[in-house]
Amino acid sequence: MARGDNVLPYIHTSGSAWRLARLGIPLRTLNVLDSAQTEAALDGVTHVVNCARGGEEVMLRGLKNVLAAALKRKVARFIHMSSVAVYGDPPPPKSAHEDAPTKPAIGSYGWIKLKQDHMVMRACRNGLSSVILCPPNISGPYSDYLVNLLNAMRLRAFVLLDDGSAPCNLVDVDNLSAAIELALDHGPADGTRIFVTDDEAICWRSVVDYLEALGQLTEPVPQIGRERLSSMTADIGAQPTSLIRSLKHLASNEVRQALRKDPLFARFDTTLRKGIARVGKRAEQFFRMTIDGPTRVSKVTGEGLFDLNLCRQQLRGVRHLSDRARDQLGYRPVHSFVESMDAFCTWYRHHHAMDSAFWPLLAQLY
Amino acid sequence: MSPPFRLALVGAGLITQQSHLPAALASPMVEVSAIVDPVTERAVELARGYGIRPRIAARVEDVVMEIDGAIIATPNHTHRAIALACLERRIPTLIEKPLARSYSEGIDIVRTADANDTVVAVGYCLRFQDNVIHFKTLLDQGFFGEIKRFVHEFGTAGGWAPLSAYNLDRKNAGGGVLVVTGSHFLDRMLYFWGYPDHASLEDDGPNGPEANCTARFEYSSKGASFVGLARYSKTVRLPGGMVVETDRGFAVLTEDDNAEIVFRPHSNPAIEQIVRRRFQRMTNNGPSVFQLQLEDFIRAVRDRRRPVVDGRQALESLRLIDQLYANRRLVAMNYYQREKALARP
Repeated sequence: MARGDNVLPYIHTSGSAWRLARLGIPLRTLNVLDSAQTEAALDGVTHVVNCARGGEEVMLRGLKNVLAAALKRKVARFIHMSSVAVYGDPPPPKSAHEDAPTKPAIGSYGWIKLKQDHMVMRACRNGLSSVILCPPNISGPYSDYLVNLLNAMRLRAFVLLDDGSAPCNLVDVDNLSAAIELALDHGPADGTRIFVTDDEAICWRSVVDYLEALGQLTEPVPQIGRERLSSMTADIGAQPTSLIRSLKHLASNEVRQALRKDPLFARFDTTLRKGIARVGKRAEQFFRMTIDGPTRVSKVTGEGLFDLNLCRQQLRGVRHLSDRARDQLGYRPVHSFVESMDAFCTWYRHHHAMDSAFWPLLAQLY
Repeated sequence: MSPPFRLALVGAGLITQQSHLPAALASPMVEVSAIVDPVTERAVELARGYGIRPRIAARVEDVVMEIDGAIIATPNHTHRAIALACLERRIPTLIEKPLARSYSEGIDIVRTADANDTVVAVGYCLRFQDNVIHFKTLLDQGFFGEIKRFVHEFGTAGGWAPLSAYNLDRKNAGGGVLVVTGSHFLDRMLYFWGYPDHASLEDDGPNGPEANCTARFEYSSKGASFVGLARYSKTVRLPGGMVVETDRGFAVLTEDDNAEIVFRPHSNPAIEQIVRRRFQRMTNNGPSVFQLQLEDFIRAVRDRRRPVVDGRQALESLRLIDQLYANRRLVAMNYYQREKALARP
């Protein structure tokens, strides 16, 4: 808008659009799952920036509709917001650059984003000029990511890997906006993937230091070794599908409990259980072990409950470089890491009235 | 036993779907006689979703002969016209908060209700929460000590999304987050302490509905002298609740429906005391605040008395909102130390 473009912001619902609405920008609602509505929305549009996010259906069928509409309406430029998550978690060391292999776990967020990338690349082959921007976690004012990290630190649900020297990839929201603006007019047209980061060698310790001070945390963030963090987070991620596991789940006590609310099923279940009981204790025990497995007791360490999804990001161990963005888009970060974190802290303090005379009262609510 | 109260629900949007209709169906006092919405398909869908077969109409005028009262749960800019259509026909109305977009619109509604000797209630449902009522009692008793200051805040990163999206249009909503979120507390503040002697606002909505605001209040007459702050956000989650600082400590009531009142004495910051009614039953199975509000409205109609939140009280809320917007100051939104031009090749 600052450069005089006629911007049409499309939103799904009004609930999350307040930051735009306060500026008096006329917002339009659009359901990207409705192909006719999507096609009508792109009538006369020359450039599209796709930031839509939602469930798998919105991300895949919704994007399919948007791409089809963009092709049909002969959109001149399509900017797709992807994510570094397409490289998997943890990403391979080669993913310092964009040409590294992509290996996200099946069903994960990165897997859906990768499918989206492939859809955009296919649309490129059909003539849609497009570029795929790949940001890491977004920092700066209003950063949900940093707010969540601070909250986890407050709850002592975040542990620092070793001395915190692992790389932390961030992009300031203004830096990302600058890259998007550049990509509207510059750069490749063939669906090339481009990293957009703050392009500084930032480590987790630096981020945590800022947030510790901001949150007025009196105790330092606990530290953990690589081996321990790896073992704690080993089970996270989408499980591969298994027919046997699904059948066991269907027959499990948990599912049967829910089904027993229905009187007919309750009678059926009771009859079945009586039948099994008649066969004998050992047979009953065998069925129980086969379906529900042995009783599991988790280790109680007194360490508290960690946000493992957040903690394990420190295992990624690779710094994504913005060389391609510099070369092909002319991208230069507008704000440095220090400026970005200062801005986040200023915003946070302002939004939580931490510098107000009323803070001692507000602090009672935390 | 009285016959069921024949109720029309005007507006088949989100608040009706999620709160008013379930409350009406849960109440033994109510028969849902009509659902009114200009988009009649939406009303049909809503009725079908709950397995009921009320009269469906596009205009409230079409059902007035068949109802004893109406809940108006439509976008704020339509409250006045629909309320007048009901009240002029002597149909008692429970209007979802706020009463109207402005004080002047609200006056039209209250005057019409008075002229037709008809009940108008306003949907500040949190007034029916037991912990709010108990807090008021304790404040009146001076239980916590002499009030020095208070704060209230509530913030969500987005949230409530009306089907018509009217909330993003300042003209239609009558304001921004102050109206959408903050008006609930303004009503409670007036209930606790009456109208403030001074009120001002800071917000971030230069051209549209503000997404963040901070209101300041001063009470200096009627023998009291204290100040307060109320903060609302639609962009960031803020822990919701109220804190009253007295000469003895902090009284805290968070925004949860069943939150306990907590007192943290200055004399021992390491402890907190829960202040509960003796023999209070802790249950989540009772009627919702929406049901309590609806049943209070029906009793007010039948007993010819004022409802717990009547039009005149809601008018005071509108007067305060108008005053706050008249005394508003925009806050800067640039959080970076240095303004920089975006890099362009």
